[in-house]
Amino acid sequence: MSMINEITLIAIVVAVACALPGVFLVLRGTTMVSDAITHTVLLGIVLAFFVTQDLNSPLLMIGATLVGVATVWSIEALQQTKLLSNDAAIGIVFPLFFSIAIILITRYAGNVHLDEDSVLMGELAFAPFRRLMLFGLDVGPRALWTMLVILLINSLFIGLFYKELKITTFDAGFAAALGFSPVLIHYGLMTLVSLTAVGAYDSVGSILVVGFMVGPPLAAFLLTNKLHIMIGLTAVMAVINSTAGVRLAFMLDTTIAGMIAVVTGVTTLLVFVFSPEKGLIKATVNRKREQKKIDQRLKEIS
Amino acid sequence: MKWVKGLALMAGVVSLAACGNEQADEVSEDNPLNVVATTSMIADLMETIGGENVSVEGLMGPGVDPHDYQPSTSDVNAMSEADIVAYNGLMLEERFVEVFEQLDERGVFTIVMADALNEGELLDPEEDEENLEYDPHIWFSVSHWETITAYAADQLSEKDPDNEDYYQENAEAYLVELGELRTYIEERIEEVPEQSRYLVTAHDAFQYFGEEFNFEVVGLQGLNTQTEAGTGDISQLADFLVDNEINAVFVESSVSPRNIEALIEAAGSRGHEVVNAGELYSDALGSEEDDAETYLKMYRANIDTIVDGLAD
Repeated sequence: MSMINEITLIAIVVAVACALPGVFLVLRGTTMVSDAITHTVLLGIVLAFFVTQDLNSPLLMIGATLVGVATVWSIEALQQTKLLSNDAAIGIVFPLFFSIAIILITRYAGNVHLDEDSVLMGELAFAPFRRLMLFGLDVGPRALWTMLVILLINSLFIGLFYKELKITTFDAGFAAALGFSPVLIHYGLMTLVSLTAVGAYDSVGSILVVGFMVGPPLAAFLLTNKLHIMIGLTAVMAVINSTAGVRLAFMLDTTIAGMIAVVTGVTTLLVFVFSPEKGLIKATVNRKREQKKIDQRLKEIS
Repeated sequence: MKWVKGLALMAGVVSLAACGNEQADEVSEDNPLNVVATTSMIADLMETIGGENVSVEGLMGPGVDPHDYQPSTSDVNAMSEADIVAYNGLMLEERFVEVFEQLDERGVFTIVMADALNEGELLDPEEDEENLEYDPHIWFSVSHWETITAYAADQLSEKDPDNEDYYQENAEAYLVELGELRTYIEERIEEVPEQSRYLVTAHDAFQYFGEEFNFEVVGLQGLNTQTEAGTGDISQLADFLVDNEINAVFVESSVSPRNIEALIEAAGSRGHEVVNAGELYSDALGSEEDDAETYLKMYRANIDTIVDGLAD
């Protein structure tokens, strides 16, 4: 397989894997959790490094995932108190974890090249060069396999708990009344978000994690009111964005991650403006129409 | 749940496609060897030694901090077609070492500059630290660069034995130029009074230079350009400037000058005037307009800046 096709394939798999849990982040209004995770994983890396003293240890990845989980769980727990808004909860947890990591590095590891980049390589352009070898056989880029597994886990989770996710997302109180714990589903989903973010971070880098998790679901959200259609549209948008992004990057000879992020931004913006039901144009037209009706009413009255 | 099936199907197709992967790797003798080099210093060296027999693609351009480097698609293409990959090592290209090792396993010839040196010749950032890591800025020692030149010529000859004489000749000629560079450096440094031989810069890139030419080198940020300089670092260094009557500090082309500016202000508030004496090339060569696009020109430019800044 040629370089460009391999990169396209990896981009598609990562995009869909990220976009699926992203659907629920968008619906719950906690999209920036993805951004928080890509920063707080540093704390996990630092802590694991203090234990192993080895920058190449796989423990560092596990540490990153665990702190990612701790991040989403803490955010989730703060939100459950209903004392502060979603973004405020993220705003408390993310800087706290991230700055602890920075302080630990400056205090104890100033002479080590220790940061996210050195552990989670995260460069889509180089992903085809990191091969997975099984029994001496080259079976393809490692990122492709890691993310395929994560994609499968995400699909299974959403497929198996589709009803539960739907009810807890749209009406948590009702869900609790029905007898299954919305909290458990929340935490399950958030654990997947963390796992997906760390895996994708290692495969394609941090900008794209946020772009993939937020862009396609947001566009899909603007196009439909039905959850299953939204999930389908999200996957379609993810595929379009990553394919177009990789092709354009090769045409223009520029950074691939950057190009995909740009394409994601542009397509989401286009949908935002032109969506037939919830788009900006439609909303403006509706508002004008309402205004006219009110004006007419006022005239009739007076 | 049709879409779950759809996804599963897609996953299946993807995994099948991934299996059918083959690679074409033919090295033809009449074509120049495709060399991919990471830093601009290494690209310059490979071009000098390889001459007409190599086509060198440098990944990190002028003024690029290796840490902030973003590969473009042409870099990826160059790497996939590379016969030789030449890189610094010692974690300078931290993110890509894994990639290079993989390329090595796939039969791409890799030349690691740091392999030319013995561990004893490398500098530790701090002796008492437990998790030691060697200082990767080996190019700032001219004698190390000489060793590396010879090593790179040997490695090129190993890859392409037919042209061994050519590579060795180029290396010999280059070693002569490096010798002239050393003389130039030593002569110019004489202009700086011994008690003012302090080089204060944005990050710890110049330790090898200091070791070789008896300069006290102090970097504000440590080895890694990504770590933040703490307020303690800045005020400590400001005290150091006052105590040692250092009047000039330097910024680096590939590092933001903001910390050095803070340092100058901190020294100013202690009643000690320090000037920003100019920009040094640290992790990358300059551009052609700067007349610092080769290792030799870059080093001369640095020495001129340092000596002009300190000798007055």
